[in-house]
Amino acid sequence: MKNTDLIKLPFSKNNPILVQVLGVCSCLAVTAQLKPAVVMAISVTVVVALSNLIISLLRNTIPPRIRIIVQLVVVSTLVVLVDQVLKAYMYDVSKQLSVFVGLIITNCIVMGRLEAFAMVQKPWPSLLDGIGNGLGYSVILITLGFVRELFGSGTLWGYPVVEKLGLYSIGYENNGLMIMPPMALILVGLIIWWHRSRNKDLVEQ
Amino acid sequence: MAKKNFSNSYIFIYSAVLVVVAALILTVVSVSLKPMQTKNQQAETKQMILKTIGIESTRDNAAKLYAQHITESTTPSGLPYYTYSEGVIIPLKGTGLWGPIWGYLALDGSSNVVGAVFDHKGETPGLGGEIATDKFAHRFIGKTMDEHPIYLTKNAEKDNPYQVDAISGGTMTSNGVTAMLEKAFFDYRDLTEEREEDEQ
Repeated sequence: MKNTDLIKLPFSKNNPILVQVLGVCSCLAVTAQLKPAVVMAISVTVVVALSNLIISLLRNTIPPRIRIIVQLVVVSTLVVLVDQVLKAYMYDVSKQLSVFVGLIITNCIVMGRLEAFAMVQKPWPSLLDGIGNGLGYSVILITLGFVRELFGSGTLWGYPVVEKLGLYSIGYENNGLMIMPPMALILVGLIIWWHRSRNKDLVEQ
Repeated sequence: MAKKNFSNSYIFIYSAVLVVVAALILTVVSVSLKPMQTKNQQAETKQMILKTIGIESTRDNAAKLYAQHITESTTPSGLPYYTYSEGVIIPLKGTGLWGPIWGYLALDGSSNVVGAVFDHKGETPGLGGEIATDKFAHRFIGKTMDEHPIYLTKNAEKDNPYQVDAISGGTMTSNGVTAMLEKAFFDYRDLTEEREEDEQ
């Protein structure tokens, strides 16, 4: 596989959410608003990229029988580290993030990429693969956050868009279902449907 | 994955070294960042308390403004509370759906709410997490804690001084807020009644 493909493929043909169907849990939980979705997207990208790199560097020394534990130790260390630094230097961001830290450790994308890629590949491609998958995850997360906040709360990044457009005065109402997790699942389903219809080769027979 | 055979002792030593290295890194980071984190948290608490009486502060000037406007006290039974020029600010502590929630309620001389703030450790953003927004806190202004605690309910009546609109999609957190208000009402009843008698 070419290095550019490692970055490009996760956006569409090998998207972690749409095709690998990993990380769906956090994708439902954090997308009620745009801001946490973006913060989560950045943090997961950083963690996937760095843990991929570290595991790939260690890959020949890791005994297969305890590889999952080793992966978990590396991932949790990175996540706690990021959280501590944020708490000290970017307190407001860390307040947004705090809930999701645990979710990053258990995010299937992180473990999935470590198992499927970093354990058997050289460090540089592993780093690219981590960045690619993180960005692929980010695209879906930010799309969902955008749609759900706009139609569910009538705001974007906390800015009252719908109110400023004056839609409430002519009888528009926010869709309460949008802020509930089930609606995120329905939206992901719709995106996967659209994505499969454009990429027929991904459809299982 | 290299198809090497790793001996048991290799596995033990490998995991021990790995864990110790990880622990060392985390300890060093945690200890060296602790003072800054504590400072941030204390400043935040002061900001919250100032906000209940309508004073907006930044993390830098919070300590100074706090010293000017707020006095810390304890009730006869040993519970902490704060006083400002027109009344008392009582702290609230409780549990939401996922973890602790807390807040501060500023009351005037006749136990009417002049301001409120809430915050949480890990409620779901957009649902229970909405308690930390100004929009939610503003619903408490003008309500009263005189004879009955304020409670959260669906379709709260606007004129009812004890009812506040709950959060849709955040029922468990809303119930936590109600429980927290009820507890504070009974814990600090002496305090608010005493003040009312003072003024009569």
